[in-house]
Amino acid sequence: MLIKSSKQVSRWRNPKRFPVSRNSGASPASRIEAGVTWPEPEGATRVQHLQVYRYDPDSGRNPRIDTYAIDRDKCGPMLLDALIKIKNEIDPTLTFRRSCREGVCGSCAMNIDGSNWLACIRSLDEINEPATVYPLNNMDVVKDLVGDQTHALAQYTSIKPWLRSKTPAPTRERLQSPEERKRLDGDYECILCFCCTSGCPSHWWNGDRFLGPAVLLQAHRWLVDSRDEATGERLDELEDPFKLYRCHTILNCTRTCPKGLNPGKKIAEVKLMIQQRRS
Amino acid sequence: MSEWHRRDPLNRNPASARASALYRAIGLGSAKSGAHHWWLQRMTAVALVPLLLWLVVSLLAHARGGHQAVALWLGRPAVAVTMAVLLVALFWHMKLGLRVIVEDYVHADRVKFAALAAVDLVCVALMAIGVFTSLYLAFR
Repeated sequence: MLIKSSKQVSRWRNPKRFPVSRNSGASPASRIEAGVTWPEPEGATRVQHLQVYRYDPDSGRNPRIDTYAIDRDKCGPMLLDALIKIKNEIDPTLTFRRSCREGVCGSCAMNIDGSNWLACIRSLDEINEPATVYPLNNMDVVKDLVGDQTHALAQYTSIKPWLRSKTPAPTRERLQSPEERKRLDGDYECILCFCCTSGCPSHWWNGDRFLGPAVLLQAHRWLVDSRDEATGERLDELEDPFKLYRCHTILNCTRTCPKGLNPGKKIAEVKLMIQQRRS
Repeated sequence: MSEWHRRDPLNRNPASARASALYRAIGLGSAKSGAHHWWLQRMTAVALVPLLLWLVVSLLAHARGGHQAVALWLGRPAVAVTMAVLLVALFWHMKLGLRVIVEDYVHADRVKFAALAAVDLVCVALMAIGVFTSLYLAFR
């Protein structure tokens, strides 16, 4: 089910903050501090407050939470519009990634009110007052809301996400039947925003070895592609207590996916494929 | 960000601090195992549902007779065999599950090795003690 409104989400929610394990490398002095509270917009009737995580590694200071006030009547409907408005009119130092502003590029993934989502498709009507805006968790912060995706993308590269085929390439395109194409549904829509991987507790504790839901969903996408001839090799590479079987079907991935996909189910299908060839 | 690399929170491989991100992501590659563990964990879990129900119901039925009645009940061949199967499934499931917990949360290599060894040894020992005890009661 694609969650279209926060009213569809249960009132009983997961705690927003989790204990930081000792070996995460955070120094004891690292604390998020209270930051600047920017002035209220004048003459505004509908005000939305945003508590935004700010961090500049070059400054040598701790991260801080800045509070911005937005006049809803002079702002676009989405959270990304509010962030762009802040950058344009209030504080040009605010840093975030964005590109397509319509949920197909995956750049503006961030932690909004405690769960990961794309800022460009999260309506301002659906966020808390005040709302919290943090970078994706479990990624080193490059600056403000920009997380470092180097490791996640390297994990993606490690599954060789391209067509591997030994049959000589045909002179025209490789054909698929509509049924074969249909097997890619639920996989091809993934935009690699890493909302799921960043929200996966197994990836928090063992992210150096566990591939994470986004990458495993992509692995499934190549496993079921009728044109790919490396299924066996792909399964060999995936069958590992850490790379694949660290998934304990916690399903944070499925809950958070802003594209309404189900990585948890796809990972289960990969496990079933491995079981299928054993018996 | 070419100079920048992901901090290795576990410090698992400090010598490779300047290695490429792909080198770190690949790590030691695939162990090409894990499916057996996954399958056995599910098999033992499914088997334990009826077995534990049977145990609870039977023990409640024989509890009134005391030690004598339970020993007599265990002496029946079908009961002794089922009991042995139950104990093997139970402790094997425990061994598999505890292994996953240790792998999830223990990251210091030596501590992890010791914990995994302890889990395996303790679970097998408990299994042996359980099977021996029930057979001892059955054949006494």
